[in-house]
Amino acid sequence: MSDVATATTALMDFRPYAHWIMLLPMIGFLLELLIGKYWWRKGGMFATLSILGSVIISYGCLYNVYVQHLGFWEYSWDWFYPGIVAGFTIDPLSLAMLCMVSFISFFIHFYAIGYMSHDCAKNVYFAETALFTGSMFGLVLANNLLQLFIFWEMVGVCSYLLIGFWWHKPEAAAAGKKAWMSCAVGDCLFLLGIAMMYTIMVKQGITTEIISFNNIFQNLEHLSHETIFGMSALTIICILFMCGVLGKSAGFPLHVWIPDAMEGPTTVSALIHAATMVTAGVYLIARAFPIFLAAPNALMIVAFMGAFTALYASTLGLVVNDLKRIFAYSTISQLGYMIAILGCGAVLGVAAVAYALFHLVAHAFFKALLFLSSGSVLHGIGNVRDIKEMGGLLKGMPWTGYAMLAGALALIAFPFTAGYYSKDKVIEEAYIYAVHDGGLGYLPWIFLVLGVILTATYTFRAWYLAMTGEPRSYPAIRPHECGFWMKTTLVVLSVFALGLGFLTADWSKGIISGLFSGGAKFWHFLEETFVHETHTASGVVYEGLNLHDIALLGGNTLMEHGAHPPQWVILLPLILMIAGLAIATMVYYKNRVDVSKYVKKDNPLYQILWNKYYLDYIFKDIIAEKIIMTVFTFWDVLDRYVIDGVVNLMSWITIQSGQVSRKLQTGVVQNYATAVIFGVSMLMILVIMLRGGL
Amino acid sequence: MGLITILLLVLLAGAILSLLTKTTAQARGVALVSSFGALAISILMYLMYDANFNTVTHYAFEESGTWMPSIGIGYHVGVDGISLPMVILATIVCALCTVFSWTESKRPNQFFALLLLMDLTLIGVFVSLDFFMFYVFWELTLLPMFFLIGIWGGPRKDYSAIKFLIYTHIASVLMMLGIFALYYFHGASTGIYTFDIPTLVNAYKDGILPISQFWLDFIFVTIMFGFMVKMPSVPFHTWLPDAHVEAPTIGSIILAGVLLKMGGYGLFRVLLPMMGVASTWFIYLIALFGLVSILYSPFAALAQKDLKKLVAFSSIGHMGFISLGVAASVLAGMDPARVVAHTGAMFQMFSHGIITCVLFGCCGVIEHHTHTRIIDDLGGLTKKMPKLAILMIVGFFASLGLPLCSGFVAEFGILSGSYHTMPIFVMLAAISIPFTAGYHLWAVQRTMFGPYNEYLGDVKEIKWFEFLPLAIWTIIFVVLGIYPEPIIGMMQTTAEYFLLSGDVLPIGGIHVAAGGAFPW
Repeated sequence: MSDVATATTALMDFRPYAHWIMLLPMIGFLLELLIGKYWWRKGGMFATLSILGSVIISYGCLYNVYVQHLGFWEYSWDWFYPGIVAGFTIDPLSLAMLCMVSFISFFIHFYAIGYMSHDCAKNVYFAETALFTGSMFGLVLANNLLQLFIFWEMVGVCSYLLIGFWWHKPEAAAAGKKAWMSCAVGDCLFLLGIAMMYTIMVKQGITTEIISFNNIFQNLEHLSHETIFGMSALTIICILFMCGVLGKSAGFPLHVWIPDAMEGPTTVSALIHAATMVTAGVYLIARAFPIFLAAPNALMIVAFMGAFTALYASTLGLVVNDLKRIFAYSTISQLGYMIAILGCGAVLGVAAVAYALFHLVAHAFFKALLFLSSGSVLHGIGNVRDIKEMGGLLKGMPWTGYAMLAGALALIAFPFTAGYYSKDKVIEEAYIYAVHDGGLGYLPWIFLVLGVILTATYTFRAWYLAMTGEPRSYPAIRPHECGFWMKTTLVVLSVFALGLGFLTADWSKGIISGLFSGGAKFWHFLEETFVHETHTASGVVYEGLNLHDIALLGGNTLMEHGAHPPQWVILLPLILMIAGLAIATMVYYKNRVDVSKYVKKDNPLYQILWNKYYLDYIFKDIIAEKIIMTVFTFWDVLDRYVIDGVVNLMSWITIQSGQVSRKLQTGVVQNYATAVIFGVSMLMILVIMLRGGL
Repeated sequence: MGLITILLLVLLAGAILSLLTKTTAQARGVALVSSFGALAISILMYLMYDANFNTVTHYAFEESGTWMPSIGIGYHVGVDGISLPMVILATIVCALCTVFSWTESKRPNQFFALLLLMDLTLIGVFVSLDFFMFYVFWELTLLPMFFLIGIWGGPRKDYSAIKFLIYTHIASVLMMLGIFALYYFHGASTGIYTFDIPTLVNAYKDGILPISQFWLDFIFVTIMFGFMVKMPSVPFHTWLPDAHVEAPTIGSIILAGVLLKMGGYGLFRVLLPMMGVASTWFIYLIALFGLVSILYSPFAALAQKDLKKLVAFSSIGHMGFISLGVAASVLAGMDPARVVAHTGAMFQMFSHGIITCVLFGCCGVIEHHTHTRIIDDLGGLTKKMPKLAILMIVGFFASLGLPLCSGFVAEFGILSGSYHTMPIFVMLAAISIPFTAGYHLWAVQRTMFGPYNEYLGDVKEIKWFEFLPLAIWTIIFVVLGIYPEPIIGMMQTTAEYFLLSGDVLPIGGIHVAAGGAFPW
């Protein structure tokens, strides 16, 4: 009987097959690229079906760990250099990401079957998104830094290719390059950080699984004594990792690529630049959280950078007119919230990871929904992206309009939507961090709170201008509603954007308490990460970590559980959200205020926002075009005329001396005679001088 | 007669036979049989490597015989974990190059004969274990390349061919001075006059030559100069872009893919054991050459208007990683990391050899189909040549160090393994990564993307005999990027022997100054 039960359990154990989550979409990529063109609808089937396979295995693993309590699992194979492995890890952190990525990626592929139906290179599009999805799974499953970095770059290259999918548009090609370059600046530093981590791990005498996360966590106590240039090695490594995060997760000042990345197909913006790839940076900090915790001051930098980005980007969202770019700035801002709360982990401990991940998952649903519904708008009115040329679309495309409304409500954290539970919790916990740290520690919380009012305003500015009022351009008069594939996806994502909180609520406390405890189950599950043991296929068991001790290594003291912020702190984001919503309603729906008075060329504030704080100008016009262009033009001159000049000079001298000696060969006997006599007499003089004669 | 001799004879016979043919088809047929035969033999050698490995001398397929015993010249050949991958590289590149030049119609018999001769001399350099043979093959590689550039080259072919010949020849002559000095000092002190590489190099390393530090340094510097010019390292690189620009596509592929590797190979075979016996700051000099090349090449490449010249500069940067890795791995430090750096440097040789073939091949295809290589005149080629676009994008990404392509494996090994001995060098080298990405992406953007330049006319898609070799090279570097073990495994064994056995280097590396760190 127990044998049968064991056999059944073994049969149902999906954890040893976790690598197939990554491999299936890769196979889908190959099939789509090679034979996708000749099958159903000329592309899309292999990619979508292979990702469905990933969905099944991902949720199977979730079932194993969450319902069956089979424990966290890790396995690896030797890869190339000694101690560098290809490893896969299944724990709450990776499961949360896997389930979100597979689910959303599947539905975005489903949507794309309709959205890309008129494109002639459909199979290439689906091949690239399948490769992207597989790489994203590889990133999430990675049990070591190098594998994470490898797939980190792979998702980057897919992002590059998909942004430039319509390669014939010069701006799309330029946007792809800009995305890669912004990330490359961070990535080279990230790689340097990995090299440093490798070095200090080898220094501990570790020969297997050298840069595996769990192995690093076990050795943090020794690693914290290492120094580089007199500073804590861990802090330097964490700062270098943070540079990678700023590139990929669009933190200030490397965020400049995301708005331009909107040149790609909208499904790409939804999949890559809203829901999945850009959260890779947040995932990296979450995955390496104990390292950040053990590194003095590292999490403080994370908190400040995140909170500043959150506020900074939401100010930019106020003035942009491109529908997709508004949501792009909101993505940057929301990623800032996630990074900021991870930084607050210096006080909150692993709970911060849980809060960040819940906001990440909730954000993935509602932001994907917002992008897909704006994709539907673009599809319906002939690729007009300027909200000034929309208006009154709700009548023509109600499904799209209400789906976008659902997403917008979740984004501004309207009560009982997913964002309400995720974002308000982030702000409350940031307050606890502020109280605990005091002084400057209040800054992240203040930034995050101010971001709330701006978020509500710019989100509903976009929704009101696009959906209500009178049509302001010809295409907006007769929009056409999207078809079956797209509509289905919008409905599914709307349900999750509105109801994700209820899904994770703790109903055991009763209906009313349950209503206010959305996210509880999710947080409790995620808080088990790091503190519970991980089993490996090779038999090694990584003990659960004592995060309090690890925090002490970095000079952080974790707070005990159960602190509650005062009631006004809990209500403040709600009030500010309503205020922001009211402003947007007054200005853009009721038209009580004439904004054109302020939106003018001579308004310096508007000018600064419109020019994105001149950051693009500094990067592109000054650094890229002036400085680097000048440097390399100079470099070319150096190469051509100085270094090669020396070479040519030497050959010229040789040739000239050859010319001179050739002139001597005149063939006239007298000349030779003269030369011989001259030479002999010189030789005689020399001999006599040497012998000391004369 | 061992496999190596057969390999050399197959190519020699092919070269002579092909010279006697009349038409393209005949010459091509002979060249295909001969070069693919060589490829088959090299793969056979790979499969039989372990069985034929001599654990005493640490070479496989070793053959030694006398040639000119009176002056100590012998026929001594053999391969190990660094030279066998180079032999495989040379045979793969040359075999696929014969396919690539399927329709060569200008003096086809000479063309294919030179191609086979090129293959022969390159393999000769990699298998020679006798300085005389080594030097003869080293010099002989110049001849086929000189004629390939001089006859099938572009408009300024005469200038480039002669510059290539003279520049590298001067370097070789200096190298010869070093070799002769080594030969005479060894003969004078031991009474045995021999050109045998292991004997001479070990004598130098073991300090049994009764000569002053000046002469030790003289030998080291002259030989190093020969290798650095060939690699080429900044500032001795200026012959390379000129040679590439005028060389025919095949010439460029072999030049960058295999010929440059001779310099890197010499670093491992000859110079590595000498490091530390010569003045130790030469190790830093080699690393500095590497670093300067790494930082120099992206800036020079950004300025180029000619696609091929841009790719040529990318080679200079990638070869710089080899110098850096080798130099960092011989210093005292943590053994696992040193082995990784050393293996990475070895793998960079193979990896760059394959990747650069795709880059130059794509340049050649573009030039052949559009009759221009000026980047600004191209644009939107994806519209007309989608297959080429895929190959070129994959190739350029591999070149900029994309993971899952072989270049990343090598560069990661070099950077991670070198960090503990040369942290500042590695930090500076890492800075080059975004710039390297920059010029690659900018070039792809301007040639492949954007609106199609209608002035180019109706450009035809890539032909099958151009597509096939490029696709095979692409598959090789992608497969090796995902699973590098087949090549890296034997390299690692050899690297461990070089660094840890004590036969080649003092165990634990060379201690420089106090605490193993250079005083700056």
